[in-house]
Amino acid sequence: MPRCTGYVLVLLLGALTITGAEAPRLSSDQLAKAVRNDSISIPTPGELFAALGKPGKPNWAGQFRGPLPTTYRNRAQIALNLGGLIADGFIAVEAQDGQQVKNIGTDIIKMAKALGVSENILGRGNSINEFAENNEWDALQEELEATQNEVKSSMQSHQDQDLVILVSLGGWVRGTQVVSAAVLQNYDERSAKVLRQPALVSFIHAKVNDVSAETHNDPLVKQVSDQLGAIEKLVTFPVGKAPTIEDVRAVHDAVGRVMEQIQHKPDTK
Amino acid sequence: MKLWLRILLSGLLLIANRETRADTDKEVQAHKAVLDLAGAFSNEGFKMRDGHWTGSLKLHENALVAVNLYAGNQYWFSVGTADPAKKIEVALYDETGQRVTTEPYNEGERAAAGFTPTSSGQYYVSVSLLEGAESSFCLVYSYK
Repeated sequence: MPRCTGYVLVLLLGALTITGAEAPRLSSDQLAKAVRNDSISIPTPGELFAALGKPGKPNWAGQFRGPLPTTYRNRAQIALNLGGLIADGFIAVEAQDGQQVKNIGTDIIKMAKALGVSENILGRGNSINEFAENNEWDALQEELEATQNEVKSSMQSHQDQDLVILVSLGGWVRGTQVVSAAVLQNYDERSAKVLRQPALVSFIHAKVNDVSAETHNDPLVKQVSDQLGAIEKLVTFPVGKAPTIEDVRAVHDAVGRVMEQIQHKPDTK
Repeated sequence: MKLWLRILLSGLLLIANRETRADTDKEVQAHKAVLDLAGAFSNEGFKMRDGHWTGSLKLHENALVAVNLYAGNQYWFSVGTADPAKKIEVALYDETGQRVTTEPYNEGERAAAGFTPTSSGQYYVSVSLLEGAESSFCLVYSYK
């Protein structure tokens, strides 16, 4: 082989190696082994609402709902509603309604106490009130997430690990209900794109399936879990393609049914 | 239990506790480093997530965590490390495993990647130790 051809080959191989290093692709095995955890892999309702607000400010106050009963006795149901209530807190922050934030903050503390979480949560309630009175909206967002994390961490230390994913699930259902309602009221392709969340629903579903048999056999948990497979399909839109208004309506109806069950299902324990 | 066995077990427990303590200290150090870095993005209106992810990396190893992002939001993924890390890299991959273009920020033992997705869904954040010896790291992310 002529020497110059050898050099060309070496250069070509070198170039291929560099290209490979610059634009590597992860294998499906690597993707499957990636860490997935509650505190990083599950976005907060605040992130979802921030994305929804980009094309135009939605009517956040129009998404408020009436006060929830804070006297549920079923622990799984309390955890699901607690997640939904925290999402309501984020909505009130987006609407910049201090009184609504304070009311929701009070209910969050009541529900958290009903689950026997740490007394530290009381301090969070005071901070929420203080920030709401001073219109410190960014601080309120951080405080709501910190409150949610504190509730979850207290659940973990009290061997209530099963309830952690139920809080996340309740928050996701309520957040998606609100976002799909807002998109339906004022359809816009860019807003509708935030509803594409198949991997997130799949992750939550897998975690719900992984809870103890006692929790999984709870009628409400079972009922909600049974619907997650269908909801996952409803939020699986092709990459880059915005869901149609009919697609959005289907998602809204499905999560609306789940939310009804979470709120109103009679106690079973 | 025989005395010598008790002493041996106590010694082992003490060593184990010291090891655990040392790891925790390193993670706290890495967390502090990343909060300093991510704080700069907060000044630009980014909200920092309260959650974080810590771990340990050997030289030329990478760690991968799944995140779910929303189209329209802007994100910064920041990583801090504790000694003896010298150079760290943050990269982002889409749900098919294809690397996506990010805005890089690197100052050796701390690094970040900025990204604005056009499609909502799952992405993977990769943290690699390019120079230095086995080190603890901590990842946080911010959005606006």
